[in-house]
Amino acid sequence: MTASQINITEFIKSSERSVSTARESSVAHLGALERVRTKAVVAKGVEMTFQSGVESSLVLQGVDLEIPYGEIQLLMGPSGSGKTTFLSILAGILTPTAGTVHLLGQEITQMSKDELSKFRLKNIGFIFQGFNLFPALTAAENVEVALRMKGIKGSAAKREAQDLLYQVGLSNRVNYLPRDLSGGQKQRVAIARALAGNPRLIMADEPTASLDSHSGHTVIELLRDLAKESNRTVLIVTHDPRLIDVADRVTYLEDGILKN
Amino acid sequence: MASIARKNLLEDIPRFIVAQAGIMFAVSLVTIQVGILDGFGRSTVRLIEQSDADIWVGAKEMLHLDVTLPIPLERLIQARKVTGVKHAEALMSRQAVWLDSSDRIVPVRVWGFNPSGRLFGNGMVSKGSLETLKEPYSFITDRSNLATLNLKQVGDIGKIVPFRAKLTGLSEDTQSMASSTSLFASLENANAFGGGNNSSLNCTIDGGQVECLNPSQSFNGSKAQTAASSPRRLNLADPISYVLVEVEPGQDLAKLKQQLEAALPGTRAHTKEEIADITRAYWQQRTGVGFILGLGATVGVVVGMVVVSQILYSSVSDHIKEFGTLKAMGASDWVIYGVITEQALWMAILGYIPSMAFCFALGAWTVAAKGIVILITPATAIAVFGVTVVMCVGSALFAIQKVTHVDPAIVFKA
Repeated sequence: MTASQINITEFIKSSERSVSTARESSVAHLGALERVRTKAVVAKGVEMTFQSGVESSLVLQGVDLEIPYGEIQLLMGPSGSGKTTFLSILAGILTPTAGTVHLLGQEITQMSKDELSKFRLKNIGFIFQGFNLFPALTAAENVEVALRMKGIKGSAAKREAQDLLYQVGLSNRVNYLPRDLSGGQKQRVAIARALAGNPRLIMADEPTASLDSHSGHTVIELLRDLAKESNRTVLIVTHDPRLIDVADRVTYLEDGILKN
Repeated sequence: MASIARKNLLEDIPRFIVAQAGIMFAVSLVTIQVGILDGFGRSTVRLIEQSDADIWVGAKEMLHLDVTLPIPLERLIQARKVTGVKHAEALMSRQAVWLDSSDRIVPVRVWGFNPSGRLFGNGMVSKGSLETLKEPYSFITDRSNLATLNLKQVGDIGKIVPFRAKLTGLSEDTQSMASSTSLFASLENANAFGGGNNSSLNCTIDGGQVECLNPSQSFNGSKAQTAASSPRRLNLADPISYVLVEVEPGQDLAKLKQQLEAALPGTRAHTKEEIADITRAYWQQRTGVGFILGLGATVGVVVGMVVVSQILYSSVSDHIKEFGTLKAMGASDWVIYGVITEQALWMAILGYIPSMAFCFALGAWTVAAKGIVILITPATAIAVFGVTVVMCVGSALFAIQKVTHVDPAIVFKA
């Protein structure tokens, strides 16, 4: 073979390798797109490092998570494992150091602060361990605040707030201030608030942690019903093993690494 | 829909009351300082404003209403001859000393004018009448001066050293806060009180008491002045302070002023507004009064800002988690700024209304008790409201700073 023949052969082989690599890459890309399209939550390679002075700590180490539409996903793990940090990233409240997060088919890690706010307002309902209700507002007014932020105003907001409180079994407590409600009732007001505007995602942080067994059970059933009846995707960060029964999937996070 | 701002504000009533007390203090301080400044300024020109003269002619060296060089009465006659002058009267200002029944002396300023005239003194008498000033050695004074002069009522007698003088009436709203105690008398009486007759006073000293009689008074050997005939009539050389001029309708004031200055040597003519402005400006700007009262008002604003900032900041700090929750839920920063600003506006409104009521009540009391006018004009009230709003909203900026930097992730911390 002459030198030119060798070069042509090498070129053909190289081209075949490139085509093959591109095909594989394209298939992988299509797969990823498909996953993003069919899953409510897709987190890929999420890393989070917190800097404290000269010290830095890696809280999340390349976490991947996918949650299909309409499922209840439990995220469990010991304290300090990075659960709440991961939830904050999935909710678009914290920006990861590395990795991507897609919610409802949109990559939130590329969004601006304003876009994220609008996305959360439209698509995510939050439930917090500490309820985070405005103490000066009644149950109905706390729900109305969320509705008003979502553009529902006036008598429509009043009606909707009453409906939501009815759904969570608090129709007889609409005019109560948080201080006059039990822990379970407060959490149900918070759930009603989270449902304001009918978001497709619910993110709950230790929703039963501050509740007694009976109230906790009521809240758990409520979350399950709300998820299944309206095909909502629910992500719950919790220590509470009672929630395992209502979950479609349970994932454990330990030392910033996810274990299914 | 419930207002988060309003409900947050009223959530803790004792703290709300403390906050409002702070704002009320600040608003009242500003209003009182500005009111005193305005009242002070107004009181210094009250006699000018109350007069019906269009032009005041005084010595060209005049500094302000109270401080001027004398001009001869002859200028009055000359002024009356100037074309365009409808009517002219003399106004005299004399320094004197009041000696009350407890032998306490009070410096006084005696204003002499024609009680039958029409350019000065009309409408100022609230008890008695100007006609009583025609009595020899009579005077009237502002009701607020009664205590200062140790007098109780009309008819009481004291001494404008060295003459016994009788209070024959009371006036209202005529005492300048910057001047000595003002007394009003006829030109002849004022001239006598001011020492115009003293070239031939008949004085005796007995046991430390000085008693003087003017030449026209009889002295029957007793220590008291037993009869008071009229003070002497003025002559053309007697000094007066101003010539008050009423102008013929349709006259050009600027032109007439020039004509008066030309016809009356050593004088300068001012319109009523001009002499009021000169006097007000002197007291407010060339003395420290305006500065001190302005400083007080500034301190009020600063105190108010500190109080409101502190209250709003602590209120926001108390609700930081709820604000964080709103942010987490997707509320824009502007929604939260709106809540805090509304809270500040409510504080401004709820602090302003009772403060104004308090200041009006205080003003009524100071006028009645001390003759000190706290002048709260509609313009002042509006301006103070503006200052209150700016103070409260400005203070909210500190609280907004705190919310701006809140990490929404705090909502996940129990």
